[in-house]
Amino acid sequence: MSLTALVEVVLVLACGYALTTRVAPWVFVRVARAAGFRAELTPVTRRRLARFKRIRRGFFAFQALATLFVVSLFLELLVNGKPLVIHYGERTAFPAVAEWADKALFFADISSFQKRSDFGMVGDAPVDYRAFARWAADHDALRADIERTATEAREARAALDPAALRPDAGEFHKRKLAAVERKEAEAATLRGTLDVFERGDAWIVMPLYPFGPSDLRYDLAKNPPNAPSLAETAPLGTDASGRDVVPLMLYGFRISIAFALLVSALGQGVGILVGGAQGYFGGWIDILSQRFVEIWGSIPFLFVMMILASIVTPSFAVLCAALITLRAWIAITYYVRGEFYREKSKDYVQAAIGCGVSDWKIITRHILPNAIVPIVTFTPFAIVSYITTLVSLDFLGFGLPPGTPSWGGVLKQGLENLKLYPHLTVIPTVALAATLYAVVLIGEAVREAFDPKVFSRLR
Amino acid sequence: MLSYFARRLLMVPLTFVCITFMVYAIMRAAPGGPIEQAKMQIRMAQMQEGGGGGGGLMDGDLDLPQSAIDDLKAYYKLDRAVPVGYLIWLGAWPDTARDGRFSGVLQGDFGKSYRFSEDVLDSITARFPISIYFGLIGYFATWIVCIPLGVRKALRHRSFFDTATSLIVFLGYSIPGFVAALVLLLLFATPLLGPGWELFPLGGFRSDSWDEMRAKGEYLWCVKDQIHHTAIPIFGYVMGGFATMTILMKNSLLDNLGADYVRTAFAKGLGERRVVFVHALRNSLIPICVGIGGAIGLLFAGSFLIEKTCNIPGMGLLGFESLLARDYPVIMGLLVFGVLIQLTGNIVSDIVLALVDPRVRFK
Repeated sequence: MSLTALVEVVLVLACGYALTTRVAPWVFVRVARAAGFRAELTPVTRRRLARFKRIRRGFFAFQALATLFVVSLFLELLVNGKPLVIHYGERTAFPAVAEWADKALFFADISSFQKRSDFGMVGDAPVDYRAFARWAADHDALRADIERTATEAREARAALDPAALRPDAGEFHKRKLAAVERKEAEAATLRGTLDVFERGDAWIVMPLYPFGPSDLRYDLAKNPPNAPSLAETAPLGTDASGRDVVPLMLYGFRISIAFALLVSALGQGVGILVGGAQGYFGGWIDILSQRFVEIWGSIPFLFVMMILASIVTPSFAVLCAALITLRAWIAITYYVRGEFYREKSKDYVQAAIGCGVSDWKIITRHILPNAIVPIVTFTPFAIVSYITTLVSLDFLGFGLPPGTPSWGGVLKQGLENLKLYPHLTVIPTVALAATLYAVVLIGEAVREAFDPKVFSRLR
Repeated sequence: MLSYFARRLLMVPLTFVCITFMVYAIMRAAPGGPIEQAKMQIRMAQMQEGGGGGGGLMDGDLDLPQSAIDDLKAYYKLDRAVPVGYLIWLGAWPDTARDGRFSGVLQGDFGKSYRFSEDVLDSITARFPISIYFGLIGYFATWIVCIPLGVRKALRHRSFFDTATSLIVFLGYSIPGFVAALVLLLLFATPLLGPGWELFPLGGFRSDSWDEMRAKGEYLWCVKDQIHHTAIPIFGYVMGGFATMTILMKNSLLDNLGADYVRTAFAKGLGERRVVFVHALRNSLIPICVGIGGAIGLLFAGSFLIEKTCNIPGMGLLGFESLLARDYPVIMGLLVFGVLIQLTGNIVSDIVLALVDPRVRFK
């Protein structure tokens, strides 16, 4: 890794840090105010947050993880086999940006496809961006390619049966001749391309790490899997199908965190509603729903998830939905139910009921803010378990569809290639352990800040 | 108290029926069942005969006579409506294929495996002890690590020892058990660290020659071999659970050390050892004992991952292979075991709690 690359990485992380700690909260507050919320912290929350910030270990882990996640939202622009900008003659295209926009605006269908013939190459296939970049960096590479194509065309022409040149030649000969002419046309096209390059009218800007999670590393000398090697520009090696491990880990990080955040947000939401209703209304609602929660909680959920996944290969959304319905909402109902039971008997709730405030408003505006502590302290540990679940399912082969970059998928290959390719085990393990460790540190700090326990004992 | 347990026991059949019916209905509705597989096999055979002439995969339906399909459906018991099929499976509806006798799970008849035509109950009970062996040893090994560690951490709360071990405990929490087992396999079962570091086998329950050696009377070798195969999976189980349990132990002892009865014990002049290890420890072990139910449930889930990683032929690996082969009777059988294990665990938790904590009164 060269020095410039290092500087660029640091720059990207610094931008991500600024975006996470300065821009994002500012935007959040503005949007909340515009939406009509008061968007200011109560003194209790402010004190809790200040306490959280003072626990440096957890606060640092939080900042690091949040920054990495925010940066990872822009991964298509940073780690991708498609260029940020490609310019050739009159045409300029932004394939990586288009791909990112396609993912970010998931409802729109934005194509990042660019045809070869538009960029000085031959055919209708997607542009070979790496060849283009090679030519742009060194025109002699293009000259060598032209030379090779021209030689091939010459040799093919020389090897041609004279019978093929006759006007009454058969179908077989005609096809041979057409192939030769195609080769010659290709050489001519490339000569034209060289002119454009020499005019300086063709350039390309590749992302920081020019390989995406689905690009196969054909440029390496050996057949995959490849062990990590800095000399061969594959710092973490490739997996069994030839995909580079660097983008696999980074995109896998984004998928894992996004999955866990989504599942815990929706799952907690459902759990809070159910638990809140149980605790608030009590009586038959409580008894019946509690029985239902008990039954539902007894499902051996990993096995049932595997059964479901063996029937239909789940997409990201289906996997989220399955985990939410089967597991994610259950544990939190116990906490919230207990908390609501306690709070409901207090005077302020009785006063609100006496004033004729609606049930929904009492639950959300009066009780919930006072029952928030177990929810907040529970969340980081729930996130750990959801990431672990995703990795486990991918490891067993019952997770996201094949081809999705995932840590568990690489671990699975690690088990299959345990003796020969240890990097396929070690790298995802380190990525997983580091991420979960950060989440656990955050969780511990949050617990300490929101629910400080003072242990006093005689000594 | 008795009525509480009676109610808990009443919940068991209800829960059992709900869960198994749900999964049964899902599997009946799912594409790719045994009929499709049989069709696929016939199609493959036809393609090989035809020498790839006709592109057989493209023809939507192949000309399997309707009578043959009906026979297949009757053989796999797919010819009845879903609720009736479920009740037959359960053994609460007369099975016409067996002259109207009741024959289902309630009678101990789990059906036959699609793959091996072997009795499902036999193949599960053959593998059940292996999973239990690893699960229980793993669980009690976790106790042996966690209780002393948790006690020491509580006694030295906020000391250097406490902070340092906390970091290790968090690391244990952030590495799932099967990943830990995988890393250990890499380190101590492959020549990664150099020759001579292949201390443990790559997997399996025992060596292939175990029964032979046992017949020969080489018991020492047998024990050694068994321990060799047990070490890494057990470590995986311990890694999977020790963090939670250590923290639980520590916090519960800390809670008790701050309680009034401990102050009283000190005040009447008891030595610290006696107060901590006789008075406080006894009470703070309650949450750990109660956790035994949850651990029994975890045993079933953990067995999938660890048995796949270490290639142990237990229930988990059986379930994994059956899922790949869509062997529905075996899957349903394992589900029965899974649900029963979980429910037993819940009830055991309650009973243990009632036994060890005389203050608890269930209503």
